[in-house]
Amino acid sequence: MSGFARELRVLRRMTVAEIVQQSIYRGAWVIYMAANICVPIISLLIWRTAIASGAQLPIDERYVTTYFVLLSLVTMATSSWMAGFLAADIRLGKLSSWMVRPASLLLGFVANNLSEKFLKLFALVPMVGILWWIFRDSMNIPAGPGHWAVFVVSLVLGAILVFTIDLLIGSLAFWMDDVAALAQARLIIASVLSGAVVPLALMPDWSRGFIDHQPFRFTVSFPVEIVAGSLTGSELVTGLAIQFGYVLGFGVLARLVWSAGIRSYSAVGA
Amino acid sequence: MNASLNVPAVIAARDLTKTYTFHQQRAGLGGAVKSLVKRKYETRLAVDRITFGINCGEVVGLLGPNGAGKTTTLKMLSGLLYITSGELDVLGCTPSDRKHDHLRRIALVMGQKSMLWWDVPAMESLLLHKEMYGLGTAEFERNVSELAELLEVQDLLNVQVRKVSLGERMKLELMAALVHGPEILFLDEPTIGLDVVAKARVRTFLAEVNRQRGTTILITSHDMDDIEALCSRVMIIDHGRLQYDGSLDELVRTTRPRKLLRATYATDVDGGALAGLEGVGAVDCDGQLIRLEVDRERTGDVLGELTRLGPLVDLDVADADVEDIMRDLFLRRSTVGDQA
Repeated sequence: MSGFARELRVLRRMTVAEIVQQSIYRGAWVIYMAANICVPIISLLIWRTAIASGAQLPIDERYVTTYFVLLSLVTMATSSWMAGFLAADIRLGKLSSWMVRPASLLLGFVANNLSEKFLKLFALVPMVGILWWIFRDSMNIPAGPGHWAVFVVSLVLGAILVFTIDLLIGSLAFWMDDVAALAQARLIIASVLSGAVVPLALMPDWSRGFIDHQPFRFTVSFPVEIVAGSLTGSELVTGLAIQFGYVLGFGVLARLVWSAGIRSYSAVGA
Repeated sequence: MNASLNVPAVIAARDLTKTYTFHQQRAGLGGAVKSLVKRKYETRLAVDRITFGINCGEVVGLLGPNGAGKTTTLKMLSGLLYITSGELDVLGCTPSDRKHDHLRRIALVMGQKSMLWWDVPAMESLLLHKEMYGLGTAEFERNVSELAELLEVQDLLNVQVRKVSLGERMKLELMAALVHGPEILFLDEPTIGLDVVAKARVRTFLAEVNRQRGTTILITSHDMDDIEALCSRVMIIDHGRLQYDGSLDELVRTTRPRKLLRATYATDVDGGALAGLEGVGAVDCDGQLIRLEVDRERTGDVLGELTRLGPLVDLDVADADVEDIMRDLFLRRSTVGDQA
């Protein structure tokens, strides 16, 4: 069996075990997702009210509605929470029990990520579905499967990008006593620069060059923009290329930091 | 290859050395503020040029006081740590490379760290190992069945791990570590926290695994009963140096060459005359009980003298307690280290 095929089988088994483990906390997923969808709903109502009151915005009501209806789904699908757990495993020596087994050390985190998202979908999809039905007449819904296919590709790339950034931050625990501040800073910065709080289209013109090309845009805003319909064909291709470039760049960087970190791992308490 | 034993060496270490670098921080707010701008880094030598070889099928105890370097040695042997200098060969590989084919041949069980998933039954972890180690279904089922029977855990495989007792969990840990049939088993304090019954079961199981499968076992433990029950050979590490490498019997003979005799009589006896006999050390007389130390070669003569003192009820001849020997050994070395 090739190494890659074996890792995939291990990942499948781990994901199943994670789902078994996490399904115990089914009530928690509903609460998490209800909280997750609250902020976009409030934002949606505020911005629609602003537009209805005559506010002059560079985006119309259909864009705003589509954006915020999709936002919670995209934020959930591309989110990662592994930095803190990875850092704890490094600091407390918990990585040791995985290091003596023949599988990638990151498979457990990938499995945890995939399984939680799988379970969260069950809670979130009905909520988004209801929103979608309520606002169906004032949304941009792309015709044909092409846009949706590109949206899914962009969503997957966005998820990998966030996971890789998290891996990079978590790996710093090989040298730093605590990466919690860094992880928190990343969350705060990302919430603004990813478009999770305010659509990036509303950012001032003078910041446009930076806003359009910084990595966090490609973790949330870009996939939503694909569906909301504000991108031209060339913007779409360029965006996907930049997104792929970030995935590659952060991937290589995370790999280098991880490899160097493993060499300095002290396996505390093992 | 160990020529005298005619068995292949599975672990070979030459001048194995490990240093750690860490920063010191004074206690309190002042220390914390100072450490923000200036940190004092120190390098500590944890393992200092130790050389040894371990042959296939041996059970070796790695002993030493806390902080002596034994767990660091175990971590290097199992590939958790990169070595600072020296040479290390485990089953023909450099452990820290952590190659799949190498990891498939070893296992590590840590008494204080679990490799089982907490919230799901142990079987989920075993199935994960089936995929990790590429075991066929028939081989997996055979191994699970054999190990479960040996460890008497058939009824626990489908119970959430967090719901089993510590002793039961340790048995399941051993099962997870051995399901792929490793050639070398590294054990770090495998009986820590277990009650006497659970400890005995774990020891019996490990001895059986070594006998049946020829698994090489390297164990660190502060419980001398573990070492006495399992190890044909011990290595004592202290201050990062290998201080002793040989059999436990030889260690006892060299550090406590005298036998301990304990005689119980039906009536009070006077053992005062025993103190003057050749080869007799400390004598402790307490009514019907006499305890004394005697040179090994004089044991027979002194036993004769004891039978003449009065009507014997019980007579016990033993080596010094390994626990006592280790305590004396570590205390002595610690004092020497402090003076140095």
